[in-house]
Amino acid sequence: MINNRDRKESKKGRAIRILTLLIPIILLLFIASSCIREDEYTNNPQGNFDALWTIIDEKYCFLEYKQINWDSIHTVYQKRLTADMSNYDLFEVLSDMLATLKDGHVNLYSAANQARYWDWFEDYPRNFNESIVEDYLGTDYRIAGGAKYKILDDNVGYIYYELFSNGIGNGNLDEILQHMAICNGIIIDVRNNGGGNLSNSSTFAARFTNQKTLTGYIRHKTGKGHNDFSDPVAIYLEPSNSIRWQKKVVVLTNRHSYSATNDFVNSMRYLPQVTILGDKTGGGSGMPFSSELPNGWSVRFSASPHFDAEMNQIEFGIDPDIKVDMLSQDEDKGIDTMIEAARTLLKN
Amino acid sequence: MQANRYVMRATMYGVGFANVYDTYLSPQEYVGTDFRISRETMRMTKLFDGNVSVQNFFQANISYTHNKVDNNNTFAGLVNWNYGLHYQFRITDNFKLLAGGLADLNGGFVYNLRNTNNPASARAYINLDASGMAIWHLKIKNYPIVLRYQANIPVIGVMFSPNYGQSYYEIFTLGNSSGVVQFTSLHNQPSIRQMLSVDCPIGSSKVRFSYLWDMQQSRVNQINTHTYGHVFMVGFVQDLYRIRNKKGTPLPSAIRAY
Repeated sequence: MINNRDRKESKKGRAIRILTLLIPIILLLFIASSCIREDEYTNNPQGNFDALWTIIDEKYCFLEYKQINWDSIHTVYQKRLTADMSNYDLFEVLSDMLATLKDGHVNLYSAANQARYWDWFEDYPRNFNESIVEDYLGTDYRIAGGAKYKILDDNVGYIYYELFSNGIGNGNLDEILQHMAICNGIIIDVRNNGGGNLSNSSTFAARFTNQKTLTGYIRHKTGKGHNDFSDPVAIYLEPSNSIRWQKKVVVLTNRHSYSATNDFVNSMRYLPQVTILGDKTGGGSGMPFSSELPNGWSVRFSASPHFDAEMNQIEFGIDPDIKVDMLSQDEDKGIDTMIEAARTLLKN
Repeated sequence: MQANRYVMRATMYGVGFANVYDTYLSPQEYVGTDFRISRETMRMTKLFDGNVSVQNFFQANISYTHNKVDNNNTFAGLVNWNYGLHYQFRITDNFKLLAGGLADLNGGFVYNLRNTNNPASARAYINLDASGMAIWHLKIKNYPIVLRYQANIPVIGVMFSPNYGQSYYEIFTLGNSSGVVQFTSLHNQPSIRQMLSVDCPIGSSKVRFSYLWDMQQSRVNQINTHTYGHVFMVGFVQDLYRIRNKKGTPLPSAIRAY
């Protein structure tokens, strides 16, 4: 005999079992219809062109600031495509299209070539002569991390830092600054320093401030629109808790002081005992990201802009406090006009 | 002898196909090989008159994948831990359906070997999963086997993701973590882990063969990701009986292994 209560419980049990089966099936169907897949581009000239154009359109951070009509660029360069063009010809078209961005952080890499925009230093005075710098350093200079350094005969410390990719640790900086403790001032030469790691820039600059200093802001893109940016986030330079330099500093710059070096110069110029001397820096304030095309060519582009402490763009460089160019008559005599100007400044 | 002290424990090793996609790193899907290990225990509890089982499932995988023209590679790895309860509906003596929920914890990375300032993407997400299972004990010509199908679907959770064009430098060095942890559910994380396994007694051992279809997807902060794994695994199943020693009295030295 099955009573009513048993019948009810049996119905309830059946309902639970049906639900138990139905819910996973519904969820399975939902998941199966929700695949997140790539946007496919064909690996031919048109497909690679469209993929590159889209990457820049959605991710490049200076289209509005540089007032670039990217749609119009598509129309112009599209006309140069042909279905049977060679890889070399395609590379040339894509390189020319990227050159309209006027950005040293924009590159296209194939196995055969690297597209670049270097007008930001190639079109300006070089203001640097490596062999003259070697004469100033002589043969008895010291090397600590990425820095070469020496006390010049007028008791001025000279540090040449040629690449911010070369590390400089707190141990190195302690040694350098201790060695130069007797100097009246120091010259930090970052001419021709094409950049590298931002952390090296801030580690170095932290030796020249006694207080937390606002040096700039950073933003990032929040979406595909040309104006989709996050609110600015302040960047502060924190003083090092180890040896800090209290005397005068001159930072030497030229048009090839780029990227992380631009960031270093931007930090240093807010410090009271620091003078920036030389030529305008090269800029390069957009932190670059990488992506790729269907044919495997890699592309690099500015993704996240840095600003100075007044929220000005520094993508096209930072003016020095004192503009000095290398004089050819000095250069002919093996004299570095900019180093000499810095020595004079530090002695007064 | 108590039912809640019988423990099924399985350790599995597998290899299979991987498809990794992360628009923070590349617009392309990378395909290659997945290597995986897993360890699972399952036992009954005393809950709901002894009708609820507890499952503890740990897996770790690493994959090596390549872009379409095979001139760049990524490494990806994920550690996943699931822990939860199932109510067991015993349909017949040999067939049962299980339904329940799992805590689903995941941590890992995708590393692109060519990228510069965006070389890697971290994976960190926690979910509450709906989980269903069917277990069928059957015999084929007197040879006893156990078939099992399990599906776990994340229903609600939280996920770490950088913002669309945000660098890890900004998040971790400058400390701007605004918006990097997002709520997830079926609409932005339609994912599923499915496993089909068969247990075959061989001599005095029990060998398990399984096929794992792991489909992890997300669409968070306008960054699309997926990791698909189709993995064939093999390992041993052990049936254990837990002995509890509440007083901590040492076992006699004659029977101690160490």
